[in-house]
Amino acid sequence: MNILQLLRHISVKHLRHQKARSLMALIGIALGVAAMVSIDIVNMSVLRSFEDNINRITGRAVLQVTDAESGFPEAMLDVVQKVPGVEYAVPVIETNGCLAWGDERAFAVLGVDVLQDGNIRDYSITDESSDIPDPLLFLARPDSILLTREMAAREHIAIDQQIKVQTVQGTRTFTVRGLLEPDGPAKALGGDIAVMDLYAAQLAFGKEGRIDRIDVSILRGESLDTMKERIQAALPEGYNIDTPAGRSRQMENLMGRFRKSMDMIGYLALFVGMYLIYNTVAISVVQRGREIGILRALGATRRQVSGLFLGETVVLSLAASLLGIGLGIILAKISITAVARTVSSMYGRSSITDLTIIPLHLAKDIAIGVAASVIAAFFPSRSSSRISPISAIRSTPYSSDALRRHRGLTIASLAFIGIAGAILLVYKTAAHASPLRSSSMTIAAMLSLLLGISLSTPLFLRRFISMFHRLFAGRLGAGGRLAGLNLEKNLTRNAVAVAAVFFSISLSVSSSSLLFSVQKGLMDYIDDVERSDVLITSGHPLASAGAQTIPMPLEMALEIEAIPGVDAADPFRKLFITISGRRVLLEAIDIPRWLKRNTVKVVKGMQGDVGTMMPGKDVISVSESVASRYGLKPGDHFTLPTPQGPVRFLVISVVVSFASDSGVIFIDYQTFRRIWQDHNADMFSVYVRPGNDVIDVRDAIRELYKDKRKMFVLDSREFRAEIKKLLDQSFEMNNAVNLLTLAIAGFGIIITLLASVFERTREIGILRSIGMKRGQVSGLVLIESALLGLAGGLLGTFAGVLTGWINLEGFFRLDFGDSISYQVHYLSICWALLLAVGLAVLAGLYPARRAAKTNITEALSYE
Amino acid sequence: MIQLKNASKSYMQGAREVHALRNVSLNIGKGEFLSVMGASGSGKSTLLNLIGGLDQPSGGEIFMDGKPLHGISDDELTLIRRRRVGFIFQFFNLLPVLTAAENVSLPLLLEGTPFSQIQPKAVDLLKKMGLEERVDHRPEQLSGGEMQRVAIARALVTNPAVLLADEPTGNLDSHTSEEIFMLLKSLHEQGQTIVMVTHDPRAAAYGSRIVTLKDGAISEDITTGGLEA
Ligand SMILES: Nc1ncnc2c1ncn2[C@@H]1O[C@H](COP(=O)(O)OP(=O)(O)O)[C@@H](O)[C@H]1O
Ligand SMILES: [Mg+2]
Repeated sequence: MNILQLLRHISVKHLRHQKARSLMALIGIALGVAAMVSIDIVNMSVLRSFEDNINRITGRAVLQVTDAESGFPEAMLDVVQKVPGVEYAVPVIETNGCLAWGDERAFAVLGVDVLQDGNIRDYSITDESSDIPDPLLFLARPDSILLTREMAAREHIAIDQQIKVQTVQGTRTFTVRGLLEPDGPAKALGGDIAVMDLYAAQLAFGKEGRIDRIDVSILRGESLDTMKERIQAALPEGYNIDTPAGRSRQMENLMGRFRKSMDMIGYLALFVGMYLIYNTVAISVVQRGREIGILRALGATRRQVSGLFLGETVVLSLAASLLGIGLGIILAKISITAVARTVSSMYGRSSITDLTIIPLHLAKDIAIGVAASVIAAFFPSRSSSRISPISAIRSTPYSSDALRRHRGLTIASLAFIGIAGAILLVYKTAAHASPLRSSSMTIAAMLSLLLGISLSTPLFLRRFISMFHRLFAGRLGAGGRLAGLNLEKNLTRNAVAVAAVFFSISLSVSSSSLLFSVQKGLMDYIDDVERSDVLITSGHPLASAGAQTIPMPLEMALEIEAIPGVDAADPFRKLFITISGRRVLLEAIDIPRWLKRNTVKVVKGMQGDVGTMMPGKDVISVSESVASRYGLKPGDHFTLPTPQGPVRFLVISVVVSFASDSGVIFIDYQTFRRIWQDHNADMFSVYVRPGNDVIDVRDAIRELYKDKRKMFVLDSREFRAEIKKLLDQSFEMNNAVNLLTLAIAGFGIIITLLASVFERTREIGILRSIGMKRGQVSGLVLIESALLGLAGGLLGTFAGVLTGWINLEGFFRLDFGDSISYQVHYLSICWALLLAVGLAVLAGLYPARRAAKTNITEALSYE
Repeated sequence: MIQLKNASKSYMQGAREVHALRNVSLNIGKGEFLSVMGASGSGKSTLLNLIGGLDQPSGGEIFMDGKPLHGISDDELTLIRRRRVGFIFQFFNLLPVLTAAENVSLPLLLEGTPFSQIQPKAVDLLKKMGLEERVDHRPEQLSGGEMQRVAIARALVTNPAVLLADEPTGNLDSHTSEEIFMLLKSLHEQGQTIVMVTHDPRAAAYGSRIVTLKDGAISEDITTGGLEA
């Protein structure tokens, strides 16, 4: 391949000569790949840890029987044990406890049948308590608990020590009867696990007569599928029989949204990298125009010329991708602890100790990095091959083929915009369950739209300049006229700078409009549904997907209402139920009490029905996403799995809810208690009597439960601030990306203007020699710069408004329903435009100074 | 060996059509040293570009060794430039990032020949140009005359059928110009076909035949046999 020769002889030297620019592009792609790699590693590590935990905790069980989160009658154990082919079936209670002192260290509590559980799980217990000789018997005492050696060491707990543990029933005291060696389940969750006797656990956690799970091992020779069917047939409807792998998969689904937003960041970073590559190659093509002309004159084919630039890109991006892999691994190492903490509090307990690095994924990331770069370099390198040998080697080049090239650009630009439209159309018309309705579609549409608009920048710039000529140029004197003409002369190169500004501005406009819409939608929603003065939650108030918490007993409502100044404490219960393999949030609300002070936004159905028809009856309302997922409308019936088996509910309305991205089903609290036999609450909404101070009441509640129970007590202001904080946090990353792209855009302008100043040395010399002042020369460059910034800013605003809407579709409406409306954030648009022009002028300062310093005699004798 | 039959070329300058060449017919024989004269803008460069396959005529026909240069694909034309034509430009047009030897080797590098094979030939050519000390220098380290001699070596490296020079001394002082002309003359004496554009009658006199252009058409065609020949 002679391209390799050209690369070796020409490109390597260029890369070395244009260190700064090559380095920018290198860093861009490296960061993009690093983002993808680290996100992948973190994701895989989290999943692997979930999987590992599940496998350790399930031991030799190959099937697990579960029901709703509140457990099911232990009588089912007998039923399962009698199914032919079942080897062992053991009952399990799995819940959470929390040490009542020290930092908030929550741990999983496994309640097991001491006599049988050895058939499924291996425990090695050492350091047994000395006063009870039989290691198995000691667990039968209701206050006995086993801790892992790891946890005991960390919390400085000794054998026979009494520990206070917070449970559903309030704080309980247990005695540590032994330590578990790190083996089997004791190695799961980083050792944050305790084992109790089943009966004791039932008592402690308010689950008398109920169990959470049955772990099943099957006889040799029986197939998993037949056994699943047999057990299913033996049990009432509504039970889930799943493999441990299936449970990991559920966890994976649960984290889908989290991963989606992480992936989005990865794509964005890569897109920024692509932009840098595009910028680098485009400018390099412009600057090396003469070289290309010479090569063409000496007999380089078009393919050789474009191959040269593509080859340079491949070399650069390969190096960048390799660098990105290393960087990504480091990034993953740094961020894994923080991510693990977030995941634990929002989704479920996990303990990530090792990074899971999958070589195949790394290879894929390298390929994506290189492919993305080559795609980014495609257009500029194609335009390089169009450079005519004659015009490039003349002393004053003619722009002969510019027009034809622009026609091609227009077509390509329209094609990409058309593709974006088509993708959106398919997306909008696809059924909710269809795989076409995914955020990958909206991301594709967004990228295609951005690409399309980027390609239209030369055209837009020409229009923009001619408008500028007509409207303003006269008023700006000779400088104004010349500035416009100069921009027109090198449309392609200037368009690259405009495109860079366009891209960064569109990102910031779209993300701020998105943020604004979500903020407004969410805050309006909260103002509707959560008008309480003080909120009490058992887990993190914003945990979205049912991270395990320790629910509070319903009786707490009475205790709270007894506090002076409290008008009412309304209970809420939130738990996840599994409907045909997918988790949905079931929200039990005391409807009559709740509606006294809050309103519900009904999308379909009669507004009044919620209050009149739901209380006490087998009636539900569903959120928009549940309605569209299961095709429900008011008047339909929908069967839910309940501890009493499947129950048919009447759907009376479709309502707005942002409570969970998995979809929400509302039920009256009384109905819920009757059917689920569950007397717990995850949240109390407390209303303060008029004339009483909310803060005082809040503090009184905190004081009352200070030593008894770990919970979150927030007044409504704190609660809203907490939500805002979370929202802001998720957009912080976005802002960082925006800043980076803005910096890149500024860099692009500097390079463009510098190139244009150098090229015009002679022209500037002439202008100076016939009497143009230094100030006028730099003014000329600054006007050009400001025009570039403004053009990019306007185009970016337009694109940003569109892509903001597209992202709202793909990231919020998809999960939360169409009720959230798109709000353009005008203030941020003003800022963006100001920023674009300001940044452009700032970037123009240095080239302007260079231009003003042009030495007249040297400039005129040049060439 | 080169034939132009009614070749013409026009350009669009904005909305205006410029006829740079009008129905030029010309036969250039093997071993000829043709000087093309004419005022600025008379179409000299355009003529040379058509002969060298840098551009295609808007009308008429051009043949090199009986094969057409008009109406063929860009790739075919490119290969003719690479293998059959050697160019010498007014502004030298060396690649600044390459050394003298690499610049000379460029046409063969494009062909895919390994540099190690080309290098002896390139060094040899540079020696013949009196540049043995300059083999590894880059253009910015060379004087104008030296750069043009590197460019001539580059034009010769493929043993081209024709050497095309567009005002080769337009950027050089008179003493250096003299040296370049002597060099071209000696190449001519070794049998090299040369077409040289110039507006200087003294320079044109080195040619064995002088064609003068006026407004894109041939106004004079004199065979002299060459200065001092
Ligand atoms: N690429 C081009 N586009 C437009 N006009 C051109 C182009 N090349 C040459 N011309 C015009 O054609 C005429 C002849 O140009 P040229 O052959 O360069 O003249 P010379 O070399 O004799 O000075 C001139 O008027 C020039 O302006
Ligand atoms: Mg000329």
